[in-house]
Amino acid sequence: MSAQTFEQAQAELEQIVERLERGDVGLEELTKLWERGEELYRRLAAQLADAQGRIEELARRLDAEGAD
Amino acid sequence: MKVEAIEVEGRKVYSVRAFNEGVASYLQRLPTLWVEGEVTELRRQQRWATVYLTLKDPDSGACLAAQMPRGQFDALRLDLVDGERVHAYGRPELYTQRGDFHLRVLTIERFGLGAHLAAIERLKQKLAAEGLFAAARKRPLPRIPSLVGLVTGNDAAAKRDVLSAITTRFPPAHVLVAETYVQGPRAAPAIATAIRDLCAHGADVIVLARGGGSFEDLLPFSDERVVRAVAGCSVPVVSAVGHEQDTPLCDLAADVRASTPSVAGRLVVPDLAELRASLDRAHILLGRGARRIVEQHGRRLAGTRERLSRAPLLVLERRSSRLETAHARLRALSPRATLERGYAIVRSGDRLVREPPAAGEQLDVEVARGRFGARAD
Repeated sequence: MSAQTFEQAQAELEQIVERLERGDVGLEELTKLWERGEELYRRLAAQLADAQGRIEELARRLDAEGAD
Repeated sequence: MKVEAIEVEGRKVYSVRAFNEGVASYLQRLPTLWVEGEVTELRRQQRWATVYLTLKDPDSGACLAAQMPRGQFDALRLDLVDGERVHAYGRPELYTQRGDFHLRVLTIERFGLGAHLAAIERLKQKLAAEGLFAAARKRPLPRIPSLVGLVTGNDAAAKRDVLSAITTRFPPAHVLVAETYVQGPRAAPAIATAIRDLCAHGADVIVLARGGGSFEDLLPFSDERVVRAVAGCSVPVVSAVGHEQDTPLCDLAADVRASTPSVAGRLVVPDLAELRASLDRAHILLGRGARRIVEQHGRRLAGTRERLSRAPLLVLERRSSRLETAHARLRALSPRATLERGYAIVRSGDRLVREPPAAGEQLDVEVARGRFGARAD
């Protein structure tokens, strides 16, 4: 599962949401799907925050170099 | 001349001398004619009565030994040097003592303008037929050359113009200059060699520059050796030879023709200031692009999350409304609903009364909003 790419995780999350919105889900499955969805969300959000952080850091470093 | 043969064991045999004299006398019957060629190996010495030279066909390399009495040669005041094109008028001759064949030259004329033009036109047709000038052969110049090769005369204005144009536009440029003869009979092979040498030294673009000059001065740049060196060069060649109106053949074979040496210099390097600005723009766009992609993903994820958090409640609501519906239908089926419509349940003890009871029997009646006792008549 850890080999899942950002896009794959995103697609899985969106499929889960669509299934839940369609509503044809058993109660036990509902909990499972929802937990899985939340897990995917946390992972994706962390990946995005990481990418953003790296971009900002690089931009800061380049700005600093440019200012020399 | 009568050539005597001797008879040896029934075979006719000639002495070498007799054979040579026979051939020589045969050659004397050939007409006197004009031969066109390039002068090479010209040997003229004060103590020699004869001037020796070789006429060479620049196309095929075929050679013809020629000689002329020194007095006649000097009287022409031609000051010929190796590499010059001439028309020589003479007849074939054999030096019988050595069996050497040569052209006995009566007079020599240096190639005239008309002859040069005709020769250039013939060469142009030939090379064009080979496809040397084809547009499809032209290669683009490198955007940022690592080493510019410059073929030019030593201390020429053309050299200064090219170098100053290059260094003004692109100060970090590396230029390797090959100084050669740019006019006269030694120029053509020297230029061809310089082009090849610069390629061998790693130049990735070559500029061929020469300022304006007379028609004769520019002749080397229409020489087959130079044109072939330009066309066969492994890297692109920019030709800036003579003035705008001159079109030496090397211009046709070059990948790019520049009107002046300065233009050639500007063509081979990018403008450093412009390059910096476009790099900066690309840098800014890169940062913006990366941020925008992250933001887009972020928005999409936030939207999905929003839907995810609402979804379970939605499912539960739908479930509970289904439960309510079922419950309502269940209620509809209970007897209480029937009592509401005015019916009553009549019990005797804990037995439901389904047939008329005996008179005086104590009954228990249940209606929608309560119960009461009764006695049967």
